[in-house]
Amino acid sequence: MLHIDNLHVSVADKPIIKGLTLDLPAGEVHAIMGPNGAGKSTLSYTLAGRAGYEVTGGAATLDGEDLLAMDPAARAARGVFLSFQYPLEIPGVPALTFVRTALNAQRKARGEAEIGAPEFLKRARATAAALKMDFEMLRRGLNVGFSGGEKKRMEIFQMALLEPRLLILDETDSGLDIDALRIVSEGVNALRSEGRSMLVITHYQRLLDYIRPDRVHVLAAGRIVASGGPELALELEREGYDKYASAA
Amino acid sequence: MTGLRDALLSRDETRLPGRRDEDWRWTDLRGTLRPLPAVSDAVQPLAAFDEPEGVQVRRFAAPVTAGTFDASLSVAAGETLWLLDRVDAGAGAYARDLALDITLGEGATLHRLVLAADSADAVSVTRAMVSLAPGATFHQTVLATGGKRQRIETAVAHPGAGARARLDGAYLLADGRHSDQTTILDHQGPGGTSEQLIRGVAADQARGVFQGRITVAVGADGTDARLKHNALLLSDRAEIDAKPELEIYADDVACAHGNTVGTLDAEVLFYAMSRGIPEVEARLMLVEAFVGEIVERIGPAPLQDAARAFVADQLEALRR
Amino acid sequence: MAADQDTVETVAALAGEKYAHGFVTDIEQEFSERGLNTDVIRFISAKKDEPQWLLDWRLAAYERWLALDEPDWARVHYPKIDYQDLYYYAAPKQKDGPQSLDDVDPELLATYAKLGIPLKEQAFLAGVQGSPRYAVDAVFDSVSVVTTFKAELAKAGVIFCPLSEAVRDYPELVRQYLGSVVPVSDNYFACLNSAVFSEGSFVYVPPGVRCPMELSTYFRINALNTGQFERTLIIADKGSYVSYLEGCTAPMRDENQLHAAVVELVALDDAEIKYSTVQNWYPGDAEGKGGIYNFVTKRADCRGVRSKVSWTQVETGSAITWKYPSCILRGEGSSGEFYSIAITNGRQQADTGTKMIHLGANTRSRIIAKGISAGHSSSTYRGLVSVHPKATGARNFTQCDSLLIGKTCAAHTVPYVEARNAHAQLEHEATTTRLSEEQLFYVMSRGLSQEEAVQLLVNGFVREVLQELPMEFAVEAQKLVAVSLEGSVG
Ligand SMILES: Nc1ncnc2c1ncn2[C@@H]1O[C@H](COP(=O)(O)OP(=O)(O)OP(=O)(O)O)[C@@H](O)[C@H]1O
Ligand SMILES: [Mg+2]
Repeated sequence: MLHIDNLHVSVADKPIIKGLTLDLPAGEVHAIMGPNGAGKSTLSYTLAGRAGYEVTGGAATLDGEDLLAMDPAARAARGVFLSFQYPLEIPGVPALTFVRTALNAQRKARGEAEIGAPEFLKRARATAAALKMDFEMLRRGLNVGFSGGEKKRMEIFQMALLEPRLLILDETDSGLDIDALRIVSEGVNALRSEGRSMLVITHYQRLLDYIRPDRVHVLAAGRIVASGGPELALELEREGYDKYASAA
Repeated sequence: MTGLRDALLSRDETRLPGRRDEDWRWTDLRGTLRPLPAVSDAVQPLAAFDEPEGVQVRRFAAPVTAGTFDASLSVAAGETLWLLDRVDAGAGAYARDLALDITLGEGATLHRLVLAADSADAVSVTRAMVSLAPGATFHQTVLATGGKRQRIETAVAHPGAGARARLDGAYLLADGRHSDQTTILDHQGPGGTSEQLIRGVAADQARGVFQGRITVAVGADGTDARLKHNALLLSDRAEIDAKPELEIYADDVACAHGNTVGTLDAEVLFYAMSRGIPEVEARLMLVEAFVGEIVERIGPAPLQDAARAFVADQLEALRR
Repeated sequence: MAADQDTVETVAALAGEKYAHGFVTDIEQEFSERGLNTDVIRFISAKKDEPQWLLDWRLAAYERWLALDEPDWARVHYPKIDYQDLYYYAAPKQKDGPQSLDDVDPELLATYAKLGIPLKEQAFLAGVQGSPRYAVDAVFDSVSVVTTFKAELAKAGVIFCPLSEAVRDYPELVRQYLGSVVPVSDNYFACLNSAVFSEGSFVYVPPGVRCPMELSTYFRINALNTGQFERTLIIADKGSYVSYLEGCTAPMRDENQLHAAVVELVALDDAEIKYSTVQNWYPGDAEGKGGIYNFVTKRADCRGVRSKVSWTQVETGSAITWKYPSCILRGEGSSGEFYSIAITNGRQQADTGTKMIHLGANTRSRIIAKGISAGHSSSTYRGLVSVHPKATGARNFTQCDSLLIGKTCAAHTVPYVEARNAHAQLEHEATTTRLSEEQLFYVMSRGLSQEEAVQLLVNGFVREVLQELPMEFAVEAQKLVAVSLEGSVG
């Protein structure tokens, strides 16, 4: 599904990602762990197409298509979804309006029919209920006045409705209380399927207890310095990143 | 006194307000309106317009060449009126000076919506002189789409004494249009409140102007007056000019104004696009939300609906 | 808590009388003939031994000035000035150009001692405890009396001298920069200054040099019916830094006196200039009699990339203040700051603020203005922030706060914003309030007298600006703020 080959990315002329290679087959869940400032968010922003993240070398393809050549909206229409580490507030645009606009824009781009308001509302209600979200909250400006945890839940809410194929979760677990972590993880697990891949960025093993990864990668100083099975996350939890400081 | 009306009636171009006049520095009529068009009573036919229910509607037709118009309105003590003033567009280059007197009796309430549609070549000045009695409530929302030179001026004589004034407004400008919203809120007695929120968007080569003067006279203690103007520039060739002003002669007051000019937040734009919303749509959505807050503040539903429809039409113009 | 009538009257009565620098120095002085004409300009030029080009420059300015109208847009009112009734040059009679302090008239030395201005370098060199170390150019009416630490500054390559001396010793520098920031006919008062300017300071800091000490100029008006027209020019070459402070006082007189100065700052690549003013000209008495008309043009040209100019002003004096220290942000990434406290009391009028002209990309500006009005005074903040089409990424933040004490004063805020770039961000906030009753009560409940409580709160109100002053002067300025408002209760 996703192939990243020797990717180099600079932000404000500063190289952050320095030769990153990663292969994420369809249907698999990979976790990315790594010290603060390693470049994890930079990788996710680059994959989503944020301006200012300048690709200076390498490639990233989604099902063989050059991801890096597309604008963010086109990537989303192809199924890329980034759950932001710090979701933004959009005053004046109710969450429901926002998601419906996004969903129909994506469908339009894919040549699919729009989803009408009643059908959308039905789906939204069901999703909100599954994520234990107050439906009335969805009528307020997107994320405005939401707590950190509520914002993260809103990301998963959007994800569930947009049904992307490549899910990038950037520290979706941080800021969640214990119950929320379970609910959000269940939401994510519900989306696991054959044709869907996930990149789960996290600092904590805890999340991986819920969302069992197929593989775990260590990202340090802009590169993948180690890869392994789920046991690698346990090892990191015990021993930290010291070992990889030199490898980087 | 310089003014469009004086110039039109006296046939004297030098009486046109221009850049050197402090209150017209960004709305230069002198440089624009030469030669002076002939004044006549002939007006252009009115376009179809669905009048909302429960609302008093006044329509001001565009002159064919140039014209001056007056109207006055009063709301009797204790009564409530919903008013829609539609400054109609017409076609071509015309000059219009519209002077409106509005009086609110004691405890009266007026919700006024001004829809200022002018043609792209119009020079149009709309002036409202509003006088409030004690305990009166005046809520106004001005929505403007600009002209060659468009000025919408509201002067409120505020007696304090429990009267309340809210002057909101929004301008949505595309192409080479210009629009100027000017407010003068004169707190003349103790115990008055006023609030103003103006939002503006200028795209292409458009120019948005906002001037808001709050004066608090000697003795007008306990005045609480607030004003905010926020504008978005959507193009490097567009321009926003603003002058929020405080003129305070009483010490027991709380007055504040704020002004921001910026552009759509790039991060928010990216966030929306990362969800699959194309850039043009994302921009319009954010502009709509920005101006939408003004529309949502309109109390009476029929007025709010009329305002929303007006804004929606103009957003289509911005899409181009 | 609105001020009660008693306290308001007390404040009014205090205005003027509190002025500590109102004495006159009795010294023999030399004047130009009264009034203004080309002969007077030639006289001034000859007095300064000026080259022909400068005389021509002055005469051209005079021609332009005759054609200009006095500005009337500021919110200040004063009777028409009779420009033919003034003296444009006054200087203490002395052997020309004192070479050292020993040559300076003892009467003048006594004057500066009384004003608390240190003119003796030795005192600092000997390391007298607690005494600040900064260089002073002392200007008395139309001439510089003495400039201290010149030798030590010269060692660092810094030129600090009276402008007339710079015309003689560094003509190329002066010719290159004089009038390059404030053009001759920029405005009525600047044009007048260009014709008749008499003294001021000149500073040049060479590339890469951090000026080893604070520089300061102390302006004293002494002579009767005399205008002071100083002109200051500061050039910070690439990568240099200088901090400069000016102070001003004048005698208490019933006549108004005109002070029309021009200050030009030039900052080249990566250079930084910090310019501070403690303006304490005589404000006039409680009825508005006398006091200085302070009509000043100050402008900085941030010509170089990443250059920076910061204006800090504490304006407590003058009958009328008309002054807008500005920054032209030309260099890419250059930045300008304006920190201001303007206090008016009695019948004082102040119309002051700044202009930040963003021309270059990624330019930044910050404006913090605090106005306090008491008595029958009026204080206006007037400012312009303009962003030109090429100033992509420009940012401005402006905060203007006014505090009113009493029912007979006025406070105005008149900001102008002109934005012509879609990638700029401008933010302006302004408030007008009085001292909060709750705060006063809270502070007094902790044992402070009403007066102390007011002082504490006022100090809090202006603190953000005071912090920007060089340390030596911050304390002084704080005292000045207190004195200017003594007896006032909000
Ligand atoms: N706009 C920017 N300008 C300069 N440096 C930047 C910018 N954005 C990110 N960086 C730097 O890039 C590096 C990687 O940042 P990134 O956010 O990708 O780290 P991260 O691995 O997600 O860290 P964390 O675990 O704290 O979220 C950091 O050193 C950061 O300071
Ligand atoms: Mg991160």
